[in-house]
Amino acid sequence: MWMRRNLFPTWWDSLLTVIFGVVAVWGAVTLVQFLVTSDYTIIRVNLANFIVGRFPRDELWRPAVALVVTLAAIGFVAGVASAAARAVALDEGSSFRSASFVENLRRQWPLLVTIFVVLMLTETWGPRLTVLVAVAAAFLAFIGGKRAPAAVRRWAWLLALVMLGVAYAILVVAGGVGWGGWGGIQLNIFLTVAGILLAFPLGLVLALGRRSSLPAVRLVSVSYIELIRGVPLITLLLMGIFAIGFFLPAGIRPGPVARVLIAITLFEAAYIAEVVRGGLQSVHHGQVEASQALGMAPWKTTRLIVLPQALRATIPAMVGQFISLFKDTTLVSLVGLFDVLTISGVANAQPAFLAQGLETVTLPFVGLLFWVGSYAMSREARRLEKRLGVGER
Amino acid sequence: MTRRLIALMAVLAMVMAACTTAADDPTTTPAGTDETTATEPEAPAPGGGDTLNAIRDRGSFSCGVNQAVPGFGFVDEDGNYSGFDIDYCRALAVAVFGDEDAVEYVPLDAAQRFTALQSGEIDVLIRNTTWTATRDGAEGATFLTTTFYDGQGMMVRADEGFSSIEDMADTAVCVLSGTTTELNLATRFGSIPYTPQTFDDNETLQAAFIAGQCDGWTSDKSQLAGVRSNFPDAEGGPDSLVILDETFSKEPLGPAVRDGDSEWAQVVDWVVLVTILAEELGIDSTNVDGFGDTENTDIRRLLGLEITDADGNTTVFDPGLGLETDWVAGVIAAVGNYGEIYDRNVEPLGVPRGPNALFEDGGLLYAPPYR
Amino acid sequence: MDVTPSTVGATRPPLWRDLRVLRVVIQIVALAAVGIVLYVLWFNLTNNLRSQGIRTDFGFLDQPIGVNIAGSNIGSGATVRRALGVGIRNTAALAVVGLPLLTVLGVVVGIARLSTNWIVSKLAAVYVEVFRNLPPLLIIVFGFRAVVLRLPPPRDPATPFDLFIVSNLSITVPGFTAVEGFATFWLTVALAAVAAGGVWWWRTRVFDRTGKPHHRILWSVGLVVAVAAVAYAILGRPIRLSIPQLNGRAISGGFTGFGSFFAVMGALVLYQASHVAEIVRGSIQAIPRGQNEAASALALSPFQRMRHVVLPQATRIAIPPTINQYLNYVKNTSLAIAVGFADYVNIAFQAIGNGQPAPQLILIVMGGYLFFSLLISLVVNILNRRLQLVTR
Repeated sequence: MWMRRNLFPTWWDSLLTVIFGVVAVWGAVTLVQFLVTSDYTIIRVNLANFIVGRFPRDELWRPAVALVVTLAAIGFVAGVASAAARAVALDEGSSFRSASFVENLRRQWPLLVTIFVVLMLTETWGPRLTVLVAVAAAFLAFIGGKRAPAAVRRWAWLLALVMLGVAYAILVVAGGVGWGGWGGIQLNIFLTVAGILLAFPLGLVLALGRRSSLPAVRLVSVSYIELIRGVPLITLLLMGIFAIGFFLPAGIRPGPVARVLIAITLFEAAYIAEVVRGGLQSVHHGQVEASQALGMAPWKTTRLIVLPQALRATIPAMVGQFISLFKDTTLVSLVGLFDVLTISGVANAQPAFLAQGLETVTLPFVGLLFWVGSYAMSREARRLEKRLGVGER
Repeated sequence: MTRRLIALMAVLAMVMAACTTAADDPTTTPAGTDETTATEPEAPAPGGGDTLNAIRDRGSFSCGVNQAVPGFGFVDEDGNYSGFDIDYCRALAVAVFGDEDAVEYVPLDAAQRFTALQSGEIDVLIRNTTWTATRDGAEGATFLTTTFYDGQGMMVRADEGFSSIEDMADTAVCVLSGTTTELNLATRFGSIPYTPQTFDDNETLQAAFIAGQCDGWTSDKSQLAGVRSNFPDAEGGPDSLVILDETFSKEPLGPAVRDGDSEWAQVVDWVVLVTILAEELGIDSTNVDGFGDTENTDIRRLLGLEITDADGNTTVFDPGLGLETDWVAGVIAAVGNYGEIYDRNVEPLGVPRGPNALFEDGGLLYAPPYR
Repeated sequence: MDVTPSTVGATRPPLWRDLRVLRVVIQIVALAAVGIVLYVLWFNLTNNLRSQGIRTDFGFLDQPIGVNIAGSNIGSGATVRRALGVGIRNTAALAVVGLPLLTVLGVVVGIARLSTNWIVSKLAAVYVEVFRNLPPLLIIVFGFRAVVLRLPPPRDPATPFDLFIVSNLSITVPGFTAVEGFATFWLTVALAAVAAGGVWWWRTRVFDRTGKPHHRILWSVGLVVAVAAVAYAILGRPIRLSIPQLNGRAISGGFTGFGSFFAVMGALVLYQASHVAEIVRGSIQAIPRGQNEAASALALSPFQRMRHVVLPQATRIAIPPTINQYLNYVKNTSLAIAVGFADYVNIAFQAIGNGQPAPQLILIVMGGYLFFSLLISLVVNILNRRLQLVTR
């Protein structure tokens, strides 16, 4: 009955079903065949390269511990956010139900599968143990965040930032490696997070400038935003690699990662400005008028009335921007940084794998990492969008 | 909004037009150029002039290298660099710091290597780089003793039956962008029609060649030999490839430093030279500690051992390069002499020593005396 | 609360709290800050370039590029300026071929996602989710390595139907060659097209006045085809079909595109179309359900509902974000460098690699993209205004 209604209602539909059914089966068979017959040795032996690049192998406990701390921080914030959402929902009298285990599983199964696949490729127990501990830590922190007293919840962001700081310190201090020497997917993630964080203040200023009533300020903001949005990221990266050094005073010579990060920040700020502008536009004008009627100064109106509402509305779009930057960090491989896409090439230049055409194994692996990261985040963004009621009129 | 956009575009068009007219007309030089001649002498190169002290203060130096050329510079599974060029970076670290890990490797594309050197991002470039006049001149680099005498060659499939460049009309040739080989290729083919396939990285180029997209791959012969000897059996093995006899350029590869820093340049230079001297004198990494009572004063001087003259005074030779007196012993113990470096990295690629043999063996390697 | 009328307007707030003064001061400060930043950057730039003896002029544009560029007839003696021109042409080719393809694919997939046919909508969803979440650069590289390079090598190309010549180096399709009278022919056809526009307007008026069926498509297309056919015959076949021929290794006739071109174009079309599909889906879903139901009540078929009720409204919503995707497509073609296709950025990069000054070349490349982006923004603005007029 289901098949009759959804697959074969008319002759035209039946034809489509047959044609695309064949396509789907063929695709699935090819995929499975590829997965089963490929030799994954190149990924197996280079796994550390793919994940952390040239991080000293004696110091691998650092990324492991940092991962645990980072995931705990994320879990904690998620727990606090979940509790806050529940409180808001109860306030408004609407029902609130956090996602069940099965729902979470249904939403995030690709992430779990990928983690499983990566663990299958490891040869030692270290990574497996790390992931196990990290997941446990994240889960405990989530519960902790949910149950935390209001006084603690209030400072959750600060606490999370401190935890991230600790994670960074673990990676760097006393014999570790600073971000200038990072590589692999770790570098891609770092560039994404640091790029967004650094670009956000600049983007916020630009967005406010673009909506300012002062013509000169508006002109500067609009020029910057349109200028940056009009050129491809790769030209800015080339500028970063070839020319940023020339714009700085003699003696200050940032390393390649720093210069790429500068380029990414300048690029991303323009896009974040547009995202924030969208949020600002979503704030009803009555809000501004009401606060003016209360005698609030323009600056106070912006800071206390407009921005909190606008920024809340931008969260899903910001996640979207985060995803697109995450994907764009692959471009740094074109300017010689040691990111995960470069590693794919590097692995294929090793004597043991040279000239064997193993890109057909390494590239899909790299693709899987990006796909899962982007997919998981976009699913969460969609869920947030629903929960925040953004886009619903 | 629309009107403003038109205005903006008009401005942009005018700016670009201005750029181009400035180029057309030699009399209108943009600001900055006229000042060039006026103030040139007083402006020192950034970080220039005193690299040696600067890196001493830093505790390490940065070495611009290749990350994906087998035998010369590549990254192994454990994330370590290795190769012929890398060994010279290590030797330099030992010479200056006595620690072969006191070096930061900066992987560079062919196109960006000189900018990296100019802007001070790297202190020395050891990345199979060909010594040319333009690079010494306009690119602001100073080339030092050649570590590897190479020449550009062409690798083709054996079954295609090409025996010379002239046979290769209407074929496609793979080449790496931003290299001297790219320029030589255009010159060598001249009026013979061909399709250049220019890639930005070695990995893609290799994949294209294996897939047969290009009939020929032109590069330094040592690199071609490296790929050939590693060519997988599934693709026909090494015998399915032929490197044409013709060598159509001189490619002396060696380290380069920034212009205007002779002290640092001399250190880099002598690190290379002592590996050659050590091979001449029969010193290698296995026996370097065993010369304590040798009578040969050349060896004693080189290794910084005490020398007793006729009057019974003992001295230790110091050439005044600003290094420890026993630095050579450290270098040889860490990386070995030239022959060892060669045998470790290049020999496995199946490249005979050829011009890279010592002068006394008919090669081109000849080091000035260490005294 | 008592307000004394006399204070209004009479006493002004102190200078530092007077909004009018503040506005001016803030603007001056902002402009000054930007000015200072720009000046410092410019100062450093000229200083650094001078101290390293690097040119700051654009004279290099007239120096030889020194390398050959695939698929162009310019030799290694050509100037950098001409080489950059070839780059612009190649980038334009990527856009001209790719944009229509990605539009069609995006619209089809977007509609397919809303299909009632389970397998069609699921496949469309899988396609969208897979490609939307992959980095475009990775798709390009993979498309080149795993798809294009799997084609037969140029020494032994495939020649399906003897009409195409397919190898991993290049793909040649039948094209046409222009012989004498070519320009006249196109001029005639162009005039006919203008006339067809008039006919269209005339038929629309007839329809508006009398209500007779307008058949405006039939009329105007018919006119163009008829004129073209007559002109073709009179001018003695000014366009001839040219079937690619293989002479040894050389290919003559037809249109040739490099394998790397197809890798970049195909990968970006797949990537960008997945975004367009989401836009199309969203736009269709944004049409109130009542519209569809009303159309149903009028006994329109599903196809008619789509064609006459849903799509015209959805198009209006979809056009601005879709054009944004077009812009992204064009900007993403700059990734062609990864597979060695000689686009605008790649040629500039090659020039830099061969010793031409980087800052100037990068500025020229940025300027080119910026000009194009602003041009598109202009079109979007005009379009938006027109669309809005239609709605009201």
